[in-house]
Amino acid sequence: MQTWLLTAIIFSPLLGVLLLWLPPRGSDRSIRRSALFYSVVTFGLAVFALFKFYGVAPTDSQGDPKYLLQHWSYWLGDVEVMGDVADVEILYHVGVDGISIWLMVLTAFLMPLAIWSSFTSVRTRVREYFSLLLLLEVGLLGVFCAMDLLLFYIFFEFTLVPLYFLIGIWGGPARRKAANKFFIFTLSGSVFMFAAVLFLAYYSYSDSGLALGYITLNIEKLSQLAHAGFISTSVQWWLFLAFAAGFAIKVPLFPVHTWLPLAHTEAPTAGSVILAGVLLKLGTYGFCRISLPMFPHATMTLAPFVACLAIAGIIYTALAAWVQTDVKKLVAYSSVSHLGFCILGLFSLKITRVNGAVIYMINHGLSTGALFLIIGYIYERYHTRDINEIGGLARKMPWLTFFLVFFTLSSIGLPGLNGFVGEFLVLLGTATSNTTNDLRAAGPLGYGYAIPAAIGIILGAVYMLWMCQRVLFGPLKEPPNTPDTSTGLSADLTGREIFILVPVAVLCLAIGVYPNPLLDTFTIATEQHVLRTPASHSWSVTEAGDDLQEEIKRADPMRLVESTSVNNLERVSVGNVGSDDLSTKKLGITPVFSSYPVTTPGMFLLNPVTKSSVAKTDHPETDAMTDGRSR
Amino acid sequence: MPASNLLTQLLPELILLVGACGLLFLGATRLAASRSFLPFAGVLVLVAALVVTIRRGEPDGSFAAMGLWISSLTHYVRWVALSVGILILLVNWYLPVQEERGEFVALILLSLLGVLLTASANDWLVLFFAIELVSIPTYILIALSRLDQRAAEASVKYFFLGALSAAILAFGLSFLYGASGTTQIQHIAGGVISLTLPSTGELGSIAMIGFLFVLAGLAFKVAAVPFHVYAPDVYEGAAAPITGMLGFVPKLAGFVALIKLFAAIGWNLPIEIKWLVWILAAVTMTAGNVIALLQDNVKRMLAYSSIAHTGYMLVALLIGPVAGEGPMHDGVAALLFYIAVYGAMNLGAFAMIASFGRKHGELETLDDMNGIASQAPAVALALAICVFSLMGFPPTAGFIGKLYILTAAFSFSADHAFAQPLLVLAIVAVVNTVISAGYYLRIVAAAYVGKSSTPANPTGGFTLRWGLAVCSLAMLVLFVWPRGLAGQASRATAAIHDSVSAAHTVVRVDTDFGNAQVDRTSP
Repeated sequence: MQTWLLTAIIFSPLLGVLLLWLPPRGSDRSIRRSALFYSVVTFGLAVFALFKFYGVAPTDSQGDPKYLLQHWSYWLGDVEVMGDVADVEILYHVGVDGISIWLMVLTAFLMPLAIWSSFTSVRTRVREYFSLLLLLEVGLLGVFCAMDLLLFYIFFEFTLVPLYFLIGIWGGPARRKAANKFFIFTLSGSVFMFAAVLFLAYYSYSDSGLALGYITLNIEKLSQLAHAGFISTSVQWWLFLAFAAGFAIKVPLFPVHTWLPLAHTEAPTAGSVILAGVLLKLGTYGFCRISLPMFPHATMTLAPFVACLAIAGIIYTALAAWVQTDVKKLVAYSSVSHLGFCILGLFSLKITRVNGAVIYMINHGLSTGALFLIIGYIYERYHTRDINEIGGLARKMPWLTFFLVFFTLSSIGLPGLNGFVGEFLVLLGTATSNTTNDLRAAGPLGYGYAIPAAIGIILGAVYMLWMCQRVLFGPLKEPPNTPDTSTGLSADLTGREIFILVPVAVLCLAIGVYPNPLLDTFTIATEQHVLRTPASHSWSVTEAGDDLQEEIKRADPMRLVESTSVNNLERVSVGNVGSDDLSTKKLGITPVFSSYPVTTPGMFLLNPVTKSSVAKTDHPETDAMTDGRSR
Repeated sequence: MPASNLLTQLLPELILLVGACGLLFLGATRLAASRSFLPFAGVLVLVAALVVTIRRGEPDGSFAAMGLWISSLTHYVRWVALSVGILILLVNWYLPVQEERGEFVALILLSLLGVLLTASANDWLVLFFAIELVSIPTYILIALSRLDQRAAEASVKYFFLGALSAAILAFGLSFLYGASGTTQIQHIAGGVISLTLPSTGELGSIAMIGFLFVLAGLAFKVAAVPFHVYAPDVYEGAAAPITGMLGFVPKLAGFVALIKLFAAIGWNLPIEIKWLVWILAAVTMTAGNVIALLQDNVKRMLAYSSIAHTGYMLVALLIGPVAGEGPMHDGVAALLFYIAVYGAMNLGAFAMIASFGRKHGELETLDDMNGIASQAPAVALALAICVFSLMGFPPTAGFIGKLYILTAAFSFSADHAFAQPLLVLAIVAVVNTVISAGYYLRIVAAAYVGKSSTPANPTGGFTLRWGLAVCSLAMLVLFVWPRGLAGQASRATAAIHDSVSAAHTVVRVDTDFGNAQVDRTSP
């Protein structure tokens, strides 16, 4: 069954943009308020969707993968209109799982705060400014909900346009350079992703590829086929690299991160909040939604390489942050450092650790977003962010001091606040990645990766606390003629500013104390959609001869899935092993708990995915994507 | 063939011809004193031709006589050229001085008539005349377009190079006649197509020479590197609205002629020709984009951008209809889709330049565009949409066009001999997108980010704004709903698919003549 809810959420800010152009010129005040109102409406819808999601969400990872609240319509290729191009099935198709619903809500949550925070700081071209912020929200929400690869790419790419203008028009002195660098950098990565998407489209169709006989870019279908081993290793490699080019620049990973500090320093406060809070997550989300599920082999092989880049980034940018005198740049570098952890967690390829990475995304969005807000408040009052020119603000601004310390602690991972949860899980995952303690196959990382990353955490604490100390404590130091309260600000935070920060702080605390509701949905989504571990265990048989295979076939209730011959070793995997594990022992089969990747040659998924099981149907709803419970 | 059938089949062309002659006449009468009477009459003529085209529906391809063949391709080109033609007239509404308006509108109609005839030509001579009919009015249009010496210079430059290219084209066509013994492009009898040129993948030397010269002559028309040198000067010299036409009309005619040329050998291109077009495409888009980066003059920049777009379209041409049907497999359908979209977005960009002026006349440099967005948000928005569409950025139709071309480039199976080079070419096109972002962003940045102390003078009037609005809206609509145009484009290639299959069923007439030549000359 289709539900319009997600489509309504994604495009509600667009409606807001149109309405923003109704009031006559000069009514800036009402434009500000209505922009805030529209974004709050979107947030309300998102919360409604969240409740609806929890109402129908699966409570465990048994059964087929599910995306909920789906909505689709034909876009490219239509059976009726183009009789001869009926072999194209590229849809407008949205849906959410446990990971994307939270990122969507995070976006909808941060946007009203970002809009509200710019009430005093943006004085020129107000209407355009708020229109662009709302347009940006459309793109961001779309990325998290897209279930079609092309749709994903379109929203992913579209986010560049509004942010380009936001930085370029309302940014600092070097705004033009910053905006151009931001745009060209990210575009140069994502065009390779575009080529890869189109290649996948063709690959799904052609006889030398998946041979489906029709073009599809459905993320779920392609992931299923990839995990069943239908995408050859060499193709996976190229596609992984092309997608990684797009995502790594967005994250940003170490050698291609240089656009970010510049973009952050020049962007207006709201731009920075959204950039750090949500936009960078598009990269990590892309890895998690596309690279990991679709290219398991390549991910497994290249994970150490990506992890090394992430660690290099963690250490390098932490050191770079240490020597910054511009507070905003310091936080920007800390962002790069933190997202390195996120990547580490993802590529540890362990379920709980991937969860850690996902919750890290949410946490980073909250605490870094809040830090940028606070820095924006300081800048509005003192027109400088230079650490040498301001100091001892605690004497004058107790509220600001409280929040800055609070979010700094959250950012460096103080237990009890949100940052700790993600950091702990990620480090644990990295360290124990190559073990099989959790009865899953060894992942690619290990202690060698965890130790330098831990050093990064220490460095993070050092530079963040050092920044707090310089800005907040010690003798009061202010540039002349400040604080500037001409725009209706007071010396300390105003009620509006406090009101913006309080919900973020509450969420930080709540996630820090009780992260389970999030982690539970993440676990299900990770198992089903990211690492795609089968619900029941997979068993592999080594050196099994024909006789053994025959026996296995006969052994009830086991069901032989598939067997292939690899280097004269017969490897058979069987599925739906009943409660009677003794039967397997009798056959002399060593049970190996399958994990990512399950598609080593000759080892096949349970609930076997064959091409026919995802074959083309009249409607997407009839196969694995069915949103059964929402009917 | 009864005469009445000929007249009804050619009704859109006849309407254009009669309309153009009528406008020439009206231009000399007192009616011309009314500011907008003549362009309005011109739009009426185009609308009438368009209505007739659409009402008559898709031709069944059975009409082939007098060097003409009314095929599904003809139908597509007719309505695309006429629709964009209406936009061109809207944008050019107020352009020339009062006394010359009759000639001006009539010449635009004649040039469009040339495009329509190119699409129906099935005889090399008719094709040649049709292409000249496209070009000759444009030489005059440039000179008429504004009272500036640069316009006269551009006109003369365009004329000489155009005449040269016409000579090359005619020379090449004579060789094709020599190779096939007929001036017919394809034999059509009762809707069945058979080829006049050999389709073995190895053209005889005579046919090869002819093929190369025709390719060169048409490369002039579509402004492919190294035959592009006139484009920047001409674009800079002509008034902006007519430049929007120059970027589209000759290019459409040129590409339609190229499609006919390739279809004449059943798209079974010799490997040398494949590599030649490969290099032509790669160099054209790269050179166009890289040189555009260095420009400060907006019109020169857009001229190089239009050269780069020729490169993208050459990629589509090279892919051809071999891999399957529909724009995601068929390069020709992708090309037809792209060129229609390109016509509108290119016209939109030039219309925006035409809609403002500075003290010294038209907007020339990027600095002249500073601050347009604060002054006229709607015009700047339309410009941004058109420019992002040129860049191939979602959510615009330019993105869909690029998507079709690239997907078609991937659609050869891996064991196909030319699959790898096409893959590389697709990567080159993708890299070019990034390069092009470098200068397209400068245009948008000038309008939005740049600041100007003096406001620009609005020029052009409301028809220009409407033309611009339609162009930019079309970009958004075609993004959301590309199926209509894509379906039309894919149906338009039906005739080409027939000629491809004709290459395999081999009902050849007179083709051995060319091969016999080879035998005689080879030792």
